[in-house]
Amino acid sequence: MSEQQPITQQSEICQILTCLPEKFVVDFANGIDVARERQAYLKGRSGFAARLFDGFTGQGARHQAEINASLTDGVEGALNWLKDLSESLASSTLAIAQVNDRVNSLKLDVAKIATYSIDTRRQLEHMAERLSERCEHLDKQVARIDFVQRVQLHLDSVFNKWSAGRFNSFSLSGRCYAALEELRWGAFGDYCRQTSGDDRQRLLENLSNRVITHLTSDSKITRRERIATRERWLERPVGRDVLPEAGESLAYLGDDHEPHQSPFVFAASQVPEELPLHLPRLNSPERVSEAMIGELFLEVAYV
Amino acid sequence: MSDFMKVGLVLSGGGAKGAYQVGVLKALRELGTRIDAVSGASIGALNGAILASSPSFETGIQRLEELWGTLAKRSPLDMNIPGYLSLLISAGMKMYGAGTVDIVARLANRAAQRFGYALPKGFDFLSAGVLCDKPLQALMDEYLVTDDLANGLPLYISVYRSLGGMYDLLAAFQAEFGFADTPDSEFLHLQTLPQEMQKEILLASAAIPLLFAPRQTNGTLYSDGGQGGWQSMQGNTPITPLLEAGCNLVIVTHLSDGSPWSRQDFPDATILEIRPQQSLARACGPLGGSRDLLGFDSDKIPSWIEQGYRDTLHCVGRVMSAGKSRHELRQSEARLTLSEKGNASADQALADVMAQLK
Repeated sequence: MSEQQPITQQSEICQILTCLPEKFVVDFANGIDVARERQAYLKGRSGFAARLFDGFTGQGARHQAEINASLTDGVEGALNWLKDLSESLASSTLAIAQVNDRVNSLKLDVAKIATYSIDTRRQLEHMAERLSERCEHLDKQVARIDFVQRVQLHLDSVFNKWSAGRFNSFSLSGRCYAALEELRWGAFGDYCRQTSGDDRQRLLENLSNRVITHLTSDSKITRRERIATRERWLERPVGRDVLPEAGESLAYLGDDHEPHQSPFVFAASQVPEELPLHLPRLNSPERVSEAMIGELFLEVAYV
Repeated sequence: MSDFMKVGLVLSGGGAKGAYQVGVLKALRELGTRIDAVSGASIGALNGAILASSPSFETGIQRLEELWGTLAKRSPLDMNIPGYLSLLISAGMKMYGAGTVDIVARLANRAAQRFGYALPKGFDFLSAGVLCDKPLQALMDEYLVTDDLANGLPLYISVYRSLGGMYDLLAAFQAEFGFADTPDSEFLHLQTLPQEMQKEILLASAAIPLLFAPRQTNGTLYSDGGQGGWQSMQGNTPITPLLEAGCNLVIVTHLSDGSPWSRQDFPDATILEIRPQQSLARACGPLGGSRDLLGFDSDKIPSWIEQGYRDTLHCVGRVMSAGKSRHELRQSEARLTLSEKGNASADQALADVMAQLK
């Protein structure tokens, strides 16, 4: 059979005598009918004359011998068939045993695969957990980088404004205060409040350097060169471009600063008649820068 | 089981009970059995000849049904004339002393007409012309054409070398009583004989001793083939030529209850016997056997046909059923073997994959 179809009772092969049957099968199956017919014939020969005739001619004995031979053939056929069946059964049983062995082996393999699957799932879960942590960390990093970027932009924005002369309506220390105050209330100030340690220190140093750069530029002195606080650092500029309300704005921004806690900021914003006692009367750009950063940002850290 | 299968069919002799063989053939056709060669004795030879001269197995069965159907339809008024004799005469057989009987019958008829009285009805029996049934003769002329035999199934005929009707009869009596068996019949392959001899041999095979004259062929007298090897029915059940012709399955039909023919005489042959599962005897009384043989009661013919059909389905069906079981067993074993062939590769594939898991 190509792609063999199972043989059923309805199959043509089983309906017609088209295959040569085995001799012992024919003798076995046909012998039953032969023996039965002869037996029926003998049974009908029970009359006296028939018995006498059959006994005399030997026909009765011949019939009996034929019946016996048919029966013997039948028994031999049965033995052959039984032997064949036993061999087939043994073969089938062996096949079943092999199938059983293979099923057991398959079960063991399936168990291994299941174990492997469980391990894989655990590893995947662990990896997912790590990945999640990593992603979270990366998210934080990205957020931090974004924050730093915004801080940098904020810083650039403020100092660009200073460079562009937007703070020219303020005194030298007022420019410094205005720039630092703007930074304190934006991304830069937020970052300073969140960060600490070396990072914060570097940021403030950078801020200080940029303030010193602008102050030295505006004041046209070196960073450690000291000039009079009242006459130079607090001196309000004059001229057409000076905004009239610039002083009031600074005073409003710095009205919560106390002279004894933040003398530089207080003096720059309020410009009092009497300068705070702790405020040096001569200051360099470096001193003003560091002192004002300290008052605005280091104080903030303790808020 | 071998793919090569050559099936032979033995049609035994048995007079009017030959109708049984029509039922056998019908059942074999229904079971899809192919017949490759036929042998016959007496009425079996005539049935076999009609089958062999037909263009197909199917047509042969139709012709036999028609022939035996015609015989079965004979008028009850003709029951004093044995149907079987009528069949043989219609086939061309001449009764022993037919010429003398015919002269006596003609003279008696002429005397009766002369003196104005009617002959008794049974007197017609003496006339061979009366015994010849016209419709039967027409069928025999149509169906028993030796020209057609050349292209038909190989046909083997059993004939008995006759030493004279009375001597043959005595030899048969001796054999029946167990004193000495009759000489064996001879088996002739009809198609290899000269055409002019074929019908002679065919009729000789059915020439009942004393009733019909033996046929002389090439200087030898042949009569009813069923007489040879009387005690073992060697001549009446001609299986030997089929085995010699290479048939590896032979279906043997018997036309007598408790036929003494024995399959044990052919230990190497695969033989499927179809024996009557009920008695074939229809007539009762001391001469009942002869009445059945000669077919006085032609209305029994349908019952023999029916019995042949049923017995064949029973006997062949039993063998087929057993063969089917064997075949299914072999098929399932082959299927198992085929299936097991894939085990090694499947196991290896799984082992390879499992090794990669480690």
